[in-house]
Amino acid sequence: MSILATYAGRLVAARNKLALLATVVLFAGCSANPIHKVTGTVLANYAESEATPYVMQMSDPKMACALGEGVDPLIYSFSRINDAPDTSGSLLMLLAANCMEYRAWEAELDYLRADYEGNVPQAKDARERAKRFYALTAERRLIAFQRAMAAYDYDPAKEPLECPFLFSEQDEITFLLGLLTGLQAVVNDANSGARAGIPRNIAPQAERAATCIDNEKTGGLPNAVRAMVWLLLPDTRPELSPDPWKVLENSSAMGVKAGMRASMALEAVAAETFGRTDVLADVIHRFAEADDTIEVWEKYRLADFVAEYIIQFSSDKYWMAEYGYRTPQAFFGKMSSEQNNENIETMSLEGLL
Amino acid sequence: MIRKSLTALTLAAITPIASAQTVKMCVFDVIGANGDMFNMVKDYALEMKSHGVDFDLKPYTDEGVAVGDFNAGQCDAVAATDIRTRPFNRFTGTVSAVGAIPSYDDLKTLLATLAQAKAAPLMKQDGYEVLGIVPAGAGYLFVNDRSMDTAGDLAGKRMATLDYQKDAIHMVNFIKATVVPSDITNFAGKFNNGSVDTAYAPAFAYEALELYKGIGEKGGIVDYPLAQLTIQVIAREGVLDDATAQASRQVAWDMYPQAMNLISRQEAAIPEDKWVRISEKDVEGYQEMFRQNRIEMRDGLNGAPDVYHPKMLSLLSKIRCSSNPSASECTSENRE
Repeated sequence: MSILATYAGRLVAARNKLALLATVVLFAGCSANPIHKVTGTVLANYAESEATPYVMQMSDPKMACALGEGVDPLIYSFSRINDAPDTSGSLLMLLAANCMEYRAWEAELDYLRADYEGNVPQAKDARERAKRFYALTAERRLIAFQRAMAAYDYDPAKEPLECPFLFSEQDEITFLLGLLTGLQAVVNDANSGARAGIPRNIAPQAERAATCIDNEKTGGLPNAVRAMVWLLLPDTRPELSPDPWKVLENSSAMGVKAGMRASMALEAVAAETFGRTDVLADVIHRFAEADDTIEVWEKYRLADFVAEYIIQFSSDKYWMAEYGYRTPQAFFGKMSSEQNNENIETMSLEGLL
Repeated sequence: MIRKSLTALTLAAITPIASAQTVKMCVFDVIGANGDMFNMVKDYALEMKSHGVDFDLKPYTDEGVAVGDFNAGQCDAVAATDIRTRPFNRFTGTVSAVGAIPSYDDLKTLLATLAQAKAAPLMKQDGYEVLGIVPAGAGYLFVNDRSMDTAGDLAGKRMATLDYQKDAIHMVNFIKATVVPSDITNFAGKFNNGSVDTAYAPAFAYEALELYKGIGEKGGIVDYPLAQLTIQVIAREGVLDDATAQASRQVAWDMYPQAMNLISRQEAAIPEDKWVRISEKDVEGYQEMFRQNRIEMRDGLNGAPDVYHPKMLSLLSKIRCSSNPSASECTSENRE
């Protein structure tokens, strides 16, 4: 009996050794360290299921963008040993691009200030700095766009259009933000003097893909993307479609209703692009006005705050070019430094002087 | 004393603003203020500030409206393609004469020549002055069937043609193709949906307007510059004094490398296999065909519109014969 037991024990030990050997051989076949692979999977899953919803609820775009710059290389480095974490990778790169864009904005405001002051060398220097930052922004945004498309196995060039499978609300938002980022990359590239070489056909591709997203649910942003492209490339506008400016305005209103004013940011960019100062003044005013009434969509609070940064920058650009300084807080929503004193009662000073 | 010096310093600091002259400019760019062209004009405007001119730029996506607003006095200057600015200066408007500048090297020689102070008198016409010329890229023929690689093959084909471009309409009729009147905003759609067989455009349109869709598997882009499109800045005469106007032309010429860099990138974005290369012999044939037509459009002969300036055609002929002295036109009896 005991001999049998000993024999059986040896057999189990031998089997375990064989299994261990097989595992080692198996992993030796792949060059990656098994712990790295597991860590990559855990991190990618964590990033998608926990970190993304957390970051999307943040109200500090600058901290969020710093996270993108810092963490993207770490998370995406796991694409060397695992499937590329494209969903989180697209959002992280999008955030990292925002950081670069904020630097470009500062340089652009420096340029406008120097231009206002008539200091040409300083203005030229600042404009060159802005162009370099815009080129880097465009490059990052192109990567974010490509990752978002890859994450949902969507080929933006394919015709006829085949919408991707988007299982959750987070998928829809990630895909939509990817499209918006692609469109922004084109604009950033032009502002860099075309040094990033971004393919310009992203714009019509984004227009088509935006039809895959529920417009109402996402605060009118898909239609705002489409209307922006219709203005840029009138050929892409379907027959009988409404006036793009009307669509942008409606989308902005839907954005306020949904608690995410990203459409308003797009309306402001369109107004600047097409020299519609009237629309720009109006959208900045509407944005500031909505501050008192809006119930921000908590799950995607970051999107509303990023939009606020964009509107603030649009306003600052205008103020800097016109007056040489940024929008004073009390004047956000206004395009002039004149106080409205029409209905203010004043007392007679007679007898005091 | 200190207070006096401070006042003087303050005055000195604000002098550049006080003395800068504000000039309103209507700027055409297909995609407005965030477009490549508008951005180049911003660079130009910044440079001009050091010459005491403060340009106030307004973007226009419709070139016709930009020129219309300039005519109506809403702007003091306009930046638009030479096809639209031709009425303001026939001489510089002839830069885009059909087949007249077969290479970018020739274009460079031309623009350097025109930037010279000596050329200043040619920049004025009927109360308008040219303040600068910047290249916008050669126009190429986009075809939906690459077997259309000779002018003869184009007979009977439908071609999207800008309805305000008289010389192009004449050429399309000359090769017996059918003019399909179009404008900048709709020619690409017509080519892409197959309602025309061919269209002409700078390389920029290949990617941005998705002309590769119209090209499909069978089509291509004929590697022969039909005309050199330029952006010209036109102002009412007297808006800038003579010295500043000349400085402006020099500033625009200094932007040549920047503009060419943009154009090279756009042309490089077209895949090699989409270009339709044509033989040296065919090129020679086209050169002669275009030359005869230019002469007709210079003199208004045989029903041709009278649109080209003889002095510009003559200058362009000199430039071509300098870079290619063995060309048959250089010994021809009816040289331009």
